[in-house]
Formats: sequence, structure tokens, C-alpha cells
Amino acid sequence: MSYYQSFDEVPGLFPYHPPSQPGPETDPHRTDNPCDDPNTERNRVVGKAKNTLETVKEMGTTQVPEIKSNIHCLTIVGQIEGHLVLPPQNKTTKYEHMIPQLVALEQSTEVEGIVVVLNTVGGDVEAGLAIAEMISSLSKPTVSVVLGGGHSIGVPIAVATDYSFIAETASMTIHPIRLNGLVIGVPQTYEYLDKMQDRVVRFVTAHSHVTQEKFRELMFRTGELARDIGTVLIGHEAVECGLINEVGGVHNAMDKLKSLVEDWKSRNEGIMQ
Amino acid sequence: MILYTPMQLELVLAGLEQMKHYPERKATVNGVPALVRNVGGQEELVQLLSTNPKDYLRMDLYPGAPVIPSR
Repeated sequence: MSYYQSFDEVPGLFPYHPPSQPGPETDPHRTDNPCDDPNTERNRVVGKAKNTLETVKEMGTTQVPEIKSNIHCLTIVGQIEGHLVLPPQNKTTKYEHMIPQLVALEQSTEVEGIVVVLNTVGGDVEAGLAIAEMISSLSKPTVSVVLGGGHSIGVPIAVATDYSFIAETASMTIHPIRLNGLVIGVPQTYEYLDKMQDRVVRFVTAHSHVTQEKFRELMFRTGELARDIGTVLIGHEAVECGLINEVGGVHNAMDKLKSLVEDWKSRNEGIMQ
Repeated sequence: MILYTPMQLELVLAGLEQMKHYPERKATVNGVPALVRNVGGQEELVQLLSTNPKDYLRMDLYPGAPVIPSR
């Protein structure tokens, strides 16, 4: 007891009395009209946001009300740039900007659903898988649309969402990973490459309905690509092998996302109650 | 780095050796710490250094955006 009392001797430390002066919102004797004369027009409203006209009058500025969508659109185009900056003739998607964006989307209270629009020719394995893992681990509903193409590392990104669409004419190339740069021809090199490939295969098969056997068969098929082994899946073919959920465009994707958002909202309400 | 792409590597990496490197420096852009560089007299944002995820959703800040750094 004496220990706590010793604090009282130091004024202002403990117990702490904040210097409180009742403001207009805490004053119980406050009249509704801050101007004493009841005939004058009210010029101040407590606890209400100023509308545009009031801002113009008082501040001389306008703030156009922003109409915010509850759906955020992520576009993945060109090459997915990894740890190396690609020459400027490439259109690139930068993963170091996308990853914090995905964190912000997860955290945001306004965004309720995310649509991923893909038109990519692949790119860095690590960066592509990082984006795919980020998308798949979001708690919010996600839908992807493959428009022109979702090749190579675009495949895991396309399947990372809760539901995926592919345009009728869009294509997806599935082919083996090759090492580029200096390659040492030893068995370990092959094993390393195989491991890299396994990461992609495992992610794709875990997030879509395609089986590992089928995906590997598509990957190593001969006679389809001019310069490589592998397969090009166009529209329906990607759906038939189980890689993509449905053939469709933006309209289908938005409809699906809306229904997923509704489900997600009702599920969240169930948890809250 | 492993590029996984159906595009020919010669095409993707063409001009890699001739790529100019512009020195990057730290600056504050619209109140957000970022890396900027001067490309032919125009200041350009390279990368955001902010740890606030909301900054990454801002419409005025993205890699390659023309900016006026304050410092």
C-alpha cells in the first residue's frame, strides 16, 4: 500500500488525471445550437461529415466523393519479373509491388473480393509461385480469368484462386522448366531442375482438379509445340483436363465472384454470432 | 533465377548487356519512403520502401510512375 502511495507524492504521475475540459460534444449543458440566438441558422453540426457543398463554402475545396468498388482487380501481364530486372522491351509484373498489395487487400475492410486477370507469358518461377501462394492463402473470395494466355508460371497463378475462368480463345502452355544461364552438366543439375518442376506440379495439382499424372503427361507431350515439348491448351481443353473450372469471360467471373462474396459474408456473420 | 516461359530466351533477354543503369536514391514521395531514379531528367519511382501495405494500393505510387520526390 505504501508502495503505491509513494507515487501520489509525485504530482501528475499516478493517479493520472488527464487535463480534461469538456468539449462541445461532451458538455451536458450544451444547447443544440452553438449560436445562442435560436433564430440564426446553424453553422455547425457535431458528429456529421461535411458534404461537398459545405466543404466548398468553408474550405474552398471540393472533394469529389469516391465511389469505391468492393472488388479489386489485379492484372498480371507480360513477364513476371523475378530477382533480375528484365530488359525494357519486356512488359513486366513486379512481384515486390504485388505482394504488399495482396497484404493490403487481405487487410482492407472495403475490399470483399479479388478478380485476377491474366495475360502472361510466364516468367520467374520463384516470383510466380510467390504470387500464386499469396493469392491462394487470401481469406477473401478470389476469381481468375485467363484472357489471352496464361502460360508456364501463369498456370499456378490461374489455379490459385477459388474459382477460375478461361476465355474461349485463350491458351495455356504447359511445358517443362529449363535451366537458363550457366548450366553444369552433372546429375545434380537435373535433380535441381526436377525439384523446381515438382514445386509447380504440386501447386497446380493441389489447387485444381487435374491429376499429377495428367499434368506431367501434358508437360512432356511431344509433337504439339514447334520448339519444345509440352502442350498448348485452348479454352475448353483447359476445362476438360480439370485445370480450369469454367470457360467464360469477365461477366461470368464477376457473377461468380459476387456469389462467392455473398457466401463469404454469410459465413463470416455466422462466426461473429 | 529460372525463367519459366514459352517465349524464346533470346527475345526476353535481348539487350540485357546494353541496359543502362540509373543510380537509385532514397526519397520521400508524397509522404511515402521510396527508391527513385532520374531517367533523362524525369524522376521515376523504382520501388516503395514503406512498410504500410496501404501505400501499395495508392494510385499515384507504382513502379515506373513519374514522381516529384520531396527530398
